[in-house]
Amino acid sequence: MDIKFESIEGNSIPYMVMMSAFALMAVVGLITTFFIIEKGLWVTGMTNRVPWGLQIVMAVYYIGLSAGSLVISGLYGVFGKQEYKPFARIAVYLAMLFLIAGLLSILTDQGRMDRVFVEPFVYFNLRSMFSINPILYIGHILICVIYLWALFTEKRKLTTIVATTAFGWAFCVHSGTGAIFGFGARVLYESPLLPASFVAAAMASGTALMILMIVGLFKVTNRHVDDGLIIWLGRFLAVCLLVVVYFLMVENLYRAYVVELRSAAMYYLFGGIHSILFWFGLLLVGCFIPMFLLFRRKTGKQIRWIVLASALVVFGVLCERYVIVIPGLTHAPEIIAGMEIVQSPIDEGVANYSISILEILQALGVLGVIGFLFGFGLKYLKLLPDEARIYERAVPAVANIRKDESGVAVGK
Amino acid sequence: MFDLNKIKEKAYLIAALAAVVVILIPIGYSIVTNLFAGPPQPRPFLEMPDEKYKECVRETEFMRQHHWELLRTIREEVVRYGKRTDININKCRECHVSREGFCNRCHNSVNLYPDCFGCHYYPEPSEMAEKMRKSGDKAILFGQSIERLPDLSGE
Amino acid sequence: MERRDFIKIAGGTFLAGSACAYAFRFLTASNIDGLIVENLTTGRKYGMVIDLTKCIPGCTACVEACHNENNVIHSGDKRWDIHWLRKVTIENKLSPEVGKKEVLLLCNHCDKPPCAQVCPVQATYKRHDGIVIVDHHRCIGCRYCVIACPYNARMFNFKSEEEWHNKDHPKRSHGVAEACTLCAHRLDKDQPPACVEACRNVGTGAIVVGDLNDPRSEISKLVESRAVKRLKEDLGTDPKVHYIGL
Ligand code: SF4
Ligand code: SF4
Ligand code: SF4
Repeated sequence: MDIKFESIEGNSIPYMVMMSAFALMAVVGLITTFFIIEKGLWVTGMTNRVPWGLQIVMAVYYIGLSAGSLVISGLYGVFGKQEYKPFARIAVYLAMLFLIAGLLSILTDQGRMDRVFVEPFVYFNLRSMFSINPILYIGHILICVIYLWALFTEKRKLTTIVATTAFGWAFCVHSGTGAIFGFGARVLYESPLLPASFVAAAMASGTALMILMIVGLFKVTNRHVDDGLIIWLGRFLAVCLLVVVYFLMVENLYRAYVVELRSAAMYYLFGGIHSILFWFGLLLVGCFIPMFLLFRRKTGKQIRWIVLASALVVFGVLCERYVIVIPGLTHAPEIIAGMEIVQSPIDEGVANYSISILEILQALGVLGVIGFLFGFGLKYLKLLPDEARIYERAVPAVANIRKDESGVAVGK
Repeated sequence: MFDLNKIKEKAYLIAALAAVVVILIPIGYSIVTNLFAGPPQPRPFLEMPDEKYKECVRETEFMRQHHWELLRTIREEVVRYGKRTDININKCRECHVSREGFCNRCHNSVNLYPDCFGCHYYPEPSEMAEKMRKSGDKAILFGQSIERLPDLSGE
Repeated sequence: MERRDFIKIAGGTFLAGSACAYAFRFLTASNIDGLIVENLTTGRKYGMVIDLTKCIPGCTACVEACHNENNVIHSGDKRWDIHWLRKVTIENKLSPEVGKKEVLLLCNHCDKPPCAQVCPVQATYKRHDGIVIVDHHRCIGCRYCVIACPYNARMFNFKSEEEWHNKDHPKRSHGVAEACTLCAHRLDKDQPPACVEACRNVGTGAIVVGDLNDPRSEISKLVESRAVKRLKEDLGTDPKVHYIGL
């Protein structure tokens, strides 16, 4: 059962169109970034009360996708599931790209991008989550590169070792990203559960994206993929969603229960646009509808519905990232205990954040960069298998031999 | 089953391309700019302060080579250790009247653009010219006293 | 030599070279004159007392003095304006009939500053004398400290200030974070901070800055003898700005 990996031709019109579109996006993003560097960050939608915006949301989202994709490759690399070998390469490659996207998003969000390459490494601060995380991220990219190399050269033993490391590392990466928020001082951030729920949401979004990628790519390039593989991934996705919902429930019930945090919880659940995103975007569209589709026996076995569910999850987790990052900032901290600030030269109450067009262009630019790299990889690296089938386990020869009464083996 | 050699060939191609970008372009750029640069630039003429300001905070040779290290050390002391002395970045402007004629002329000729004075104040040329007119100081070009103040009046 | 070997050697040399370059940076970054001596203000612990009972309602002399002294941007747009010191009106949530009160809010120079803890480049740090300061030459503008400060005291330079109010003091470029420095540049020269001076000039003297470690200083006596409150003491950040009559 050798699997032949191949690269695509990459001469067709749609491929060229796709690549040029990605290149264009990247160029637009680059121009936007230079514009922002020149002008200062006030041209974005961020303010002194909401100093983190879309770029951080996207960074967290991409890093989640990366960790999730790596889990899929781990099915083969760590747990030795041979039938998932066809997807291993593409999963690792995507994991690498998404991490690069995450880093790019964080980079383009800084006020002084010129200093990002030297200062954080020279004046490393061990107590800062923001300082530890880039180390985790860069390590993750390096591990992905080694992992890819091991997969390409078919080194079985190295693959297992690297895959196991990468698996653990991906957990650290994502817990670390959660810790940026979870260990923060804002009421709606502070939660020891956040790193864990980040991991769960990351697995869900990564799996969902892999399903979309696999089905889409195999369809476009006329390859065969067994339904059983996708259905199993679908079930895995459903379980991940269950965990996500569980974490969300615990966290919000806790906040609503503790008197101290109740007003914050009310703000989170019923306090503005982010609440609509929370209830409809995350819970309904992102969790319950896909779970219904995936757990139901009839729809959970049809590729069409699984793909729909995955698309909903990919959207839902984006909403999740938004409702983690933004409401925590817009919610007003109580600076003087028991007192309300009625008049102030700055916005002391609930703050507003509206995404500006420049931030969207920047985010699209990052997407363009990794889209371009992905297309490039498809053409020049042997990422795609010729087909993906569930092989029947080869029946051991002994089972075919029936022993007769006298103890002499005779062939069947 | 798996054609290693082919992959390698392509990898080499990509690596070669990257090498061209990373190594050859800067080299090529400098060669080309050198070819078309015309005659070599003369050493920049710096506007020296009036004769009565004889002493800089360190001797001239040291300042020529290490003024930036000195400034950085002082910066570190002031910002991180709170040790403020007489020597600080505001002291330069007491003698060196024109940033255009002193700092920038040399920095530009070696393509260096430090941004200290985006945040620290350095007087405008016209402001300095006013000050000099009042005190009767003269700017000196390599030791020669000159009557007219070059580039200072802001015209 | 085979191509493979060549690439291995070249790659190895490149890696070793970059490591050397990195080490070289560290070496050259050390000070040249051996000038750095221990801090002159070691052993002190600066703090502030604000007597709200003396403070005149509607007076903003200290705020203006602070902004002019430190070249803080105030262009009139609420979203990006920076306030190292701000005067706010508060009202009791449960019993608003008690009436309104004016309070000065600024960086509390926490003894365990969360903002310094989260800064990835150690640009925000606590000096030996307890003042929390941003090194603007180093700040990368990640805005993590703005988020970590529980008092909303820290702000970010979305724009940079165009004008020079105080030409002896630097401005900041856009893209760095900042907060009250307790006028460290004046304290180092044994001058009172700008807001203290302005308050004295108005004739009130409601703001006192001094050494909390020195039992004979004015501030220590105030803290000792009056009922002082600090903001959000339950967080454990140990703020050093004390309020009388809050
Ligand atoms: S008040 Fe805020 S900015 Fe000031 S030291 Fe405390 S945490 Fe830092
Ligand atoms: S914005 Fe500057 S001072 Fe604040 S945490 Fe980031 S690097 Fe440090
Ligand atoms: S101590 Fe200085 S920086 Fe702080 S509020 Fe007063 S004037 Fe402003």
